[in-house]
Formats: sequence, C-alpha cells, structure tokens
Amino acid sequence: MKAPPLRRVLLVEDDPDIQAIVSFALESVGGLSVEVCASGPEAVASAPRFRPEIVLLDVMMPGMDGWATLRALRDIPQTATTPVVFMTAKARPHEVEQYRRGGACDVILKPFDPSQLSDQLRGIWSRIHGEMDRT
Amino acid sequence: MTDRHPELAGAYARAFRDYVNGAGESALLRAYQAGRDLLTEGLGVLELAALHQRTLADVLVELPPSRHARVARSSSEFFAEALGPFEMSQRGLRGQIEEQQRLERLKDEFISVVSHELRTPLTSIHGALNLLIEGKAGELPSDAQRFLEIAYRNSGRVVRLVNEILDLQKIESGMIGLDMRLVDVGQLLADAVEANHAYAARFDVAIALDDSGPPLFVHADPDRLLQVLANLLCNAARFSPPGATVTVRAERLRGRVRVCVADHGPGIPEAFRTRIFGKFAQGDPSVPSWREGTGLGLSISKAIVERLGGRIGFESEVGRGSVFHFDLPEWREPRNPASGPLRR
Repeated sequence: MKAPPLRRVLLVEDDPDIQAIVSFALESVGGLSVEVCASGPEAVASAPRFRPEIVLLDVMMPGMDGWATLRALRDIPQTATTPVVFMTAKARPHEVEQYRRGGACDVILKPFDPSQLSDQLRGIWSRIHGEMDRT
Repeated sequence: MTDRHPELAGAYARAFRDYVNGAGESALLRAYQAGRDLLTEGLGVLELAALHQRTLADVLVELPPSRHARVARSSSEFFAEALGPFEMSQRGLRGQIEEQQRLERLKDEFISVVSHELRTPLTSIHGALNLLIEGKAGELPSDAQRFLEIAYRNSGRVVRLVNEILDLQKIESGMIGLDMRLVDVGQLLADAVEANHAYAARFDVAIALDDSGPPLFVHADPDRLLQVLANLLCNAARFSPPGATVTVRAERLRGRVRVCVADHGPGIPEAFRTRIFGKFAQGDPSVPSWREGTGLGLSISKAIVERLGGRIGFESEVGRGSVFHFDLPEWREPRNPASGPLRR
C-alpha cells in the first residue's frame, strides 16, 4: 500500500541557525508543516497538540538530550509510536545501528544538504510504511 | 611464574638469612634488588609477602625459641626497609599514571566540546550555502553562484578535516570501539569498489576488482577496513590519469592476508616517501590532486591497520605508479571441531 503523504514534522534542535535552515528546507522547499522546538521539554509540551507524523531530533542538546527526549516522547500516547529521526554529526555505520536499536528509525548526518532534506525525510517515511505493511 | 622466579626467590631468602645473621645494609640492598626484580617479573606484592613469611618460617625453625621474637621483629623491619624504596617509586609511578589519566580525560573532554562547537556552526554554513547554490532562495547572478560554489566546496573540506582530525585523535588514543568480526575479504573488497566507484568516475578512473585469489578471511572491524580501503582507492583514483583503471586484490602472504590497491599514477617522489604516512603530509601543492585531500587519510589508515594488528606499506616507481598494501593476520577455521566455525 502506498504511504500516506507526509505533512507534519516536529523539529527539535537547540541551535537557532540550524532551526532556520531546516524549517526553510522543509517548509519552503519541501512543502511540509514544521513545528520548531528548541529543547526536549518544549517538544514534550507541544507534541500532544501538534501530533507530528515524524520527529527530527538533535542528539546533543543541553539539559534533556536527544535520547531523553525520545524516551519522553514514547511516554506520550500521541507520539508513542511516531517515527523519530536523529540528527547527529557522530554516526559511523555501527553507531547508526546503535541509534536504530535505541529506537530511532533513521539517522541524518550533520552537516547535511538541506535542499535534499525533505526528499530524504519522505524517503524514510515511505520506507517505514513499507516495513509496516510487511509486518 | 617466569623462569627467573625461583632464582630470585632464592636470592631474596639468602639475603634475609644474611640479614638475620648480622650482614646489615648489604643484605638489605640484595633483598631490595631481588624483591624489585620479582615484582618486575610479574610477582604480586601479596605473593612477595607470602615468600617473605615462608622464608621467615624456615629461618625460625633453625633457631632456638629464645631468638624467635627478636628475629620476627627484625623481619618486619627488613621487609619494610627492603621494599620501602620500591613502594615509594611505585607510589610515584601511580601518581604519574593518575596525572596522565587526568590529562587524557581533559583532552578528550576538550576535543568533544571543540568537535560539537565546530560542527554546529559548520552545519549552518554548509546548509545555508547548499540552499543558495541550489537556487532554493532564488536565482543568483552567475558570479555570485560561482563564488558560493567555491565557499560550499571548501566548507565541505573543513567538515572532512574536522571529522578526520577527531577520528585520528580517537584512534590514536585507543578510544574507538572496534566492532571485531569475521570478515570475508572478497566481499569486503567488492563492497569497497561499489562504495567508491562513483568518486573515481569523477576523475574518469575505473576501479577493477581482481577476484582471482583464494577465499580469505580476517578477524577485524569491517567498517574500519572499508574506511582504509576508501582512503586508498580515492587516493589512487585522484592520482591516476583519465581513462586509467585502479586495481584492488587480496592474496595470501606467509600466513597473512595482503590487500593491494594498484594505480598507474605518477608514483611517489623519493623525497616524500618517508613522510607519506605523517599527519598533513602533502606532496607538491601545485598538483591539484594533493589539494583534494585533507592530508590525514593515510595517517588514519595506518593507525587503523596497526590497531587491527596489521601493517601498511607501499611500493612505488616514479612515472609508473604505486601499489599501497596492508597486511592482516589470516583467520583460519579452528582445527578443534568442538569450538564450531565462525559465521559472518
């Protein structure tokens, strides 16, 4: 079955410049609706209302880091199974495997080409739906 | 226990007997030397104390009970005095090791912070330039486009440089976790060719896998070996003339597996050969191919191969080309069938 179109992305990133670039890339270039959160607690607060279809989550954030935010999102009914994609500068192939085992559905390596980002996210979105169809 | 333990234990016991019989400082010195050598040879401090107690018991058996108390007292003094200097040097050594560990921790923290602080702004710079040159923020005059492409290309180079500096630091400090497993070398080479042929095609260079050799296996970290092969294949492609073919193959060599990457490039100048695995070692900067690299690829490759228990080297002939190779111990199926074969 074809994946439903991806519409809502929750971006959790503490750096304001990266926030600006990613939201431009996803909204203006990719035509997606993006909610930007600067921290894990902000993401936890906005997730039930925004109901993201996919979460783009920075790993290294002060205070509540990406891992803690992922765990907190899993405790919220609206995001208990929402696909989470980590953004990190640190991911060799076996580390990507660790991220997947830790609950991320994929990893986007920093620095990335924002002009490709929405296509990359849509590719991940289609793949997840393909996997869900098979199971 | 090493071969020297009985001899040294005997020397220690003789020194102790001599001390009990009034030999004084010279006996202490001999005991100190024997004790120090025993510890250096791997005897534990508790084992040395047990040896001392056994020696004391042997001496006491030979003496009248009236002398036991006095000898036991001098025995404690002997033990403390004979090993005192060693104990102090051990403490000094421990202090140095602790200080070294503290400095290593500080360095690691510093590098981790620097890496994050550098990569975060780089992500913004690289990302903003990418959006501009792709025309996502509107069309640009051609000169602006050209200059932005230069900036974008160089931001990519800084990213690679930061990544490689951090990688090299981690490998050299032993901080990388190796994911060791059985590696089918033929499959590894096929994966490496697949991963790097697009890069080589940019230089109009092909990569050919010579798979005529026997099936070979090594016990290693496949991701790290792919990293080494990527460095060797990309270097070979960059230095090959357009239309050339880089060949990669593996062979068995005196119980080891040798992987070779051969190119038909200009060869490595004699004067540069001793420095080629050094950090930021670059040949003639007027040759554009040298500018493409970060100057760390071969240092990283060497560090990885050595961490995996191997060796890296090359043969080169100016004007004809170079062959870079690395050797790793060959993995063979254990003869004992009870231990079972390893599977990838």
